[in-house]
Order: sequence, then C-alpha cells, then structure tokens
Amino acid sequence: MNPIRKKRVYNILTVLLFSVSGIALILFSLNSKLDYFFTPTELMNKTFPIDKRIKLGGMVLNGSVKRASSNISFIVTDYTNRINVEYEGILPDLFKEDSGVVVLGYLNNQTVYAEEVLAKHDENYMPPNIEVINDN
Amino acid sequence: MFNFAFNSFNEAIYMNGHGVFVWSVLIIVILTLYIFFISYIFKIKKIKKKLNESN
Amino acid sequence: MIKKFIHQFASPKTFISKVDTYYNFIFYSALLIYVLSIIWGILFTPEDFVQGNSFRIIYLHVPASFLSQSLYLAMGICSITFLIWRVKLAAYLIVAIAPIGAMATFIALISGSIWGIPTWGTWWQWDARITSTLILFIMYLGLISLHSSFSNYEKADKLLSWLVIVGAINIPIIKKSVDWWSTLHQSASITLTDKPTIDPVMLYPLIGTVIGFFGLIICLVLLSSKNQILIREKNKSWVKDYV
Repeated sequence: MNPIRKKRVYNILTVLLFSVSGIALILFSLNSKLDYFFTPTELMNKTFPIDKRIKLGGMVLNGSVKRASSNISFIVTDYTNRINVEYEGILPDLFKEDSGVVVLGYLNNQTVYAEEVLAKHDENYMPPNIEVINDN
Repeated sequence: MFNFAFNSFNEAIYMNGHGVFVWSVLIIVILTLYIFFISYIFKIKKIKKKLNESN
Repeated sequence: MIKKFIHQFASPKTFISKVDTYYNFIFYSALLIYVLSIIWGILFTPEDFVQGNSFRIIYLHVPASFLSQSLYLAMGICSITFLIWRVKLAAYLIVAIAPIGAMATFIALISGSIWGIPTWGTWWQWDARITSTLILFIMYLGLISLHSSFSNYEKADKLLSWLVIVGAINIPIIKKSVDWWSTLHQSASITLTDKPTIDPVMLYPLIGTVIGFFGLIICLVLLSSKNQILIREKNKSWVKDYV
C-alpha cells in the first residue's frame, strides 16, 4: 500500500478508536441508568422518593392475580424477591400469570401503585398446537 | 405448512381483533415502498430529460 | 489485478450499464419472492401461541429492521473505500443509500409501534432498543440534510464519510441493546450462534420476506445511485452519450 493510503487507514483507525472509547465510557458510566426497568431485587435494595415514577419488570407470580371489581393486585417476581403491585385500569391482552410484565408506578411500603401495566413477551414463537404436543 | 390459517375470508380480515394492526402495517409498508420506487423513477426521468435538453 | 477490477467496476459508466442490464431481473425476482412470502406468512402460517395473530407483523417488521442496520453498514464500507482510495462511486453510493436507510428505519419504527399496541399495551417506550433505533433514524436524516446543505460536493463527501464512520458505533449498540440492558423489546430470535427460537413453519416465510425485501431495497439503492450519478456527472461526456 502506498504511504498516503497507509496514512489514511491510520487516520480512520485513530478516529474509530477515539470515538469507540468515548462512547464506551459514556455507556459504562450510564450503564444501569439505561436499564428500562428494575427487577424486584434491585428495587428492594434501593430507596426512592415517594413521588418518583419507577418501572418494575419481572414475571407475574402464578396464582397471585386477584381481582376486586376494577382493582387488580398481583405479585411480580424475579424468582428471588417479590414485590406487590396494585393497579386499576385496563390490562394488555398478553398479561398472564407466569409471563413477563413491566409495571410503571410509584413505590410505597414494598408495594408498587401502578399507573400503567405493560406485557413483555419473550423471543419464542411457535404455533399453539406444538405446546399441547409437548405437554402430552 | 401451507394450510390456510383461517376458517373464512372474513376471519382472515378480522384476525381476532388483530387484523387492524397487521393490515395497517402491510398498507404502510406497501405505500412507502411504492412512493420510493415511483419517486426515484420519476427523478431519473426528470434529470434525463433535463440533460437531453441541455445537449 | 484487483486494482484494475476495482477501477473498472468503480467507474460510474460501467456501474450504470450494469444496473440497466440486471435491474429488471433483480426487481421482478425480489418482488415475486417478497409477495409470495408475505402471503405465506400472513395467511398460511399458524398463529403464535402467545401473541395470536398480531405476531404476523414480524414478517414486515424484521426485514425492515434488519435492512435499516445493514444499509448503515453498507454506507460505512463505502465511506472507508472513499476515504482510503478516493473512489468517487463510493461517495455517490453513500449519498444514495442514506434516504433508503431512513425509509427502512421508518418502516421498522412504525411497524414496531403498531405491533406494540396489541402485545405490550403501548406504542412507544424509551427502552434501549427503541431509543437506539430512533437515534439511527435521526442519524440518517442528519446525514441527508448535512450533505444537501453543502454546495461543494468534494467537502461534503469527505465530511459525510467521516460522520458515517463515527456514527457506525450505534449499530453494535442497537444489536446488543437487548442483551446489555433490560428492555421491553424481547431479545433476538435468530442469532448466528444458537438455534432460532422461532418455529420452522414461521421461520421459513420470515427468511423469504427478508430475502425479498433485501432485493427490493437493492433495487431502490440502484435507482437512487443512478439518479445520484446522473446528477453528479452531468457534465461528463459519457453521460451526454448515455441519455
């Protein structure tokens, strides 16, 4: 390679090195702030002001969903710790026991008073009948 | 693998309430692609015409 | 020999004549594959065991998301080629690809938002995957407007190439966002290392839509580059013979 091109390659590599390390530093310093939600364990080890809106993510504990008129309460778990959730409103279609959920609301006394409940599904896609075959 | 997934045509449109989402995304995709193809074909025609006139 | 090959292929004149020769073939085969795979995916695939019929949006969303990132990488390769070898065609290609990339990202964002309504229960959340994709869209728009704000093409090409290279960092971030941080978006179903977590009956039409959409996008890039070449080389004698 001729010297001019060699120099251009080095220039590109230098720019890349600096910008990658710059972005990497920013991402590392922000790291957990870029998380979309807290797990129940993370939430228990932190204190929040009562008016701070937080997001809690995890699985809906099997058998924990209780409905009383328009109020719904359930437990979100990461299989280590549990957090109670109180909610009044419409649930997404995919909200189910033993499936992923993200709750947006305010934490008070180990209970999240939710303003919004979102369903989180995983990366598995399959036809319904396959599950039945596996169960048998 | 190639079985029609619905019992009737109406069911295929309705998709248990999800039809409105699926079909609207399909329309948006088709429209966007169509607009881009047409606009580029038109642009090329326009510049060719312009160049021909200046020759 | 490689030099000679690059030199020949990289001549805008050869490029345009190659485009004219192969365009129809690529366009019609891509269109056929895309339309058939879409019909297969939307009407002839069983519904998903969790998401029901709304999962069918995957056949429109995944190809666009895949292409939005691939097109940026293509721009990156063109930028490096232009900065090292000063190949003019590479610079034309960067400018030609940017709007198509913006289009693919737009489709990815819109289809993702609409898909989010029946599944997540929201059309927009600031999670790492969605936000980094929005940044990609804004970057495409920024690159387009930056280039058109210059009157001096030579300077514009160089600045554009540098910015494309710096911005390329966003691509691995988008890709890995679902693994590095907690997100509302699920992690990847198809990876190079593991078995796909999507059932084969749903996977085959998906591969078809990706190939078909890829072909259609290639056609758009070819048209857009042809347009760009004619604009930039309008004073060359071969263009006068060509039109």
